[in-house]
Amino acid sequence: MARDLAIDLGTANTLVYMKGKGIVLNEPSVIALNRQTGEVLATGREAWQMIGRTPGYIVAVRPLRGGAITDFEITERMIRLLLQRVGVSRFTRPKVVICVPSAITEVERRAVTDAARRAGAADAQLIEQPMAAAIGADLPIDEPVGNMVIDVGGGTSETAVISLGGIVALEAVRVGSFDIDAQIQAYVRREHGIAIGERTAEEVKVAIGSAAETEDESQAEVRGRDLMTGLPKTVVLTPEEIRFAIDDVVSSIIASVVRCLAKAPPELAQDFLVRGMYLVGGGGLLRGLAQRIEKETQVPVRMSNMPLEAVVMGAGHCIEHYDALKGMFMGARR
Amino acid sequence: MTTVIVIGVALVIVIALVVLFARGGPRQEPGVVSFRKHIDALSPEARREVMDRVRPPNDNDNDRSDG
Repeated sequence: MARDLAIDLGTANTLVYMKGKGIVLNEPSVIALNRQTGEVLATGREAWQMIGRTPGYIVAVRPLRGGAITDFEITERMIRLLLQRVGVSRFTRPKVVICVPSAITEVERRAVTDAARRAGAADAQLIEQPMAAAIGADLPIDEPVGNMVIDVGGGTSETAVISLGGIVALEAVRVGSFDIDAQIQAYVRREHGIAIGERTAEEVKVAIGSAAETEDESQAEVRGRDLMTGLPKTVVLTPEEIRFAIDDVVSSIIASVVRCLAKAPPELAQDFLVRGMYLVGGGGLLRGLAQRIEKETQVPVRMSNMPLEAVVMGAGHCIEHYDALKGMFMGARR
Repeated sequence: MTTVIVIGVALVIVIALVVLFARGGPRQEPGVVSFRKHIDALSPEARREVMDRVRPPNDNDNDRSDG
């Protein structure tokens, strides 16, 4: 008998929740392929370690960008392999709830459900990430009060106001923590004349990246390839430089939060001043982001207890209470 | 004879309908029932099971990004 699954199919990581068991898989959304034969060589963490370090015949790719499938066939193969790893076979076809960005188009929606069905799911339903995040962050969304959740993911940032089990206002931008990495890469290239890979840029972000000035700031040494000489070179980056480099992305995320606040009905808007907004998603871990949002919106910002797992926990709750909550699935309302 | 049977059947139907309506009382709208189920399924009590089941965050996880 197949156990039903909830999947957070993220641009950065894929998490799988199994009904009655909990989170059974948490791996980077990366697949490594043999460029010549098309064979899958690795998925998840193993493939992630290969990014930017492969010989010519291997390609390690993230098949999702901005929360959308950029390569349908590769995504389908990745989902199939991930489902196999959690015990799904041709004889056990589970029901699946998949979290997707709210701004997903009809075509993208169909691509995700088709990929899941072809990968072995008996039925695939979609739920908006901010709604799943609000459930997983344990916000009192069953009450007639304003709950605001900001989900900063790898490829998308979404802000939603939720009350009485439904989305009241929503704002999404296709900008996330991968764009922050890309800005760091571009800055180092432009200002220091060295090329660094996306994994190095991510390491810089984790080490010294911040959206606002914080205590205990330190510098970071970065090694890359000198664009003029082609030789390896080391440069020292400061937190101020990184803040400057990523400011466009951070400002874009904050602007979408402000737009969502402006859309909220006045009765709910007053609740935010008391209850605050909740930050979830890996991008929300950027140092100083909560403080910067708080400063620019004058609304308290709180970090969810489990920011990386909140979305899949919310979807997991939907799979546990499938019949009662099926009205929340995207197909049910459109 | 036929008239008596028809009247009898009609009487039985009328009595059955009266009993049915009398026993039913105020019936809840299907929308109210499903909305109540929906809200109850989102209550903190209903969510506790999933929250308790999910393991604590893995401190060794070095890929901080999420999508």
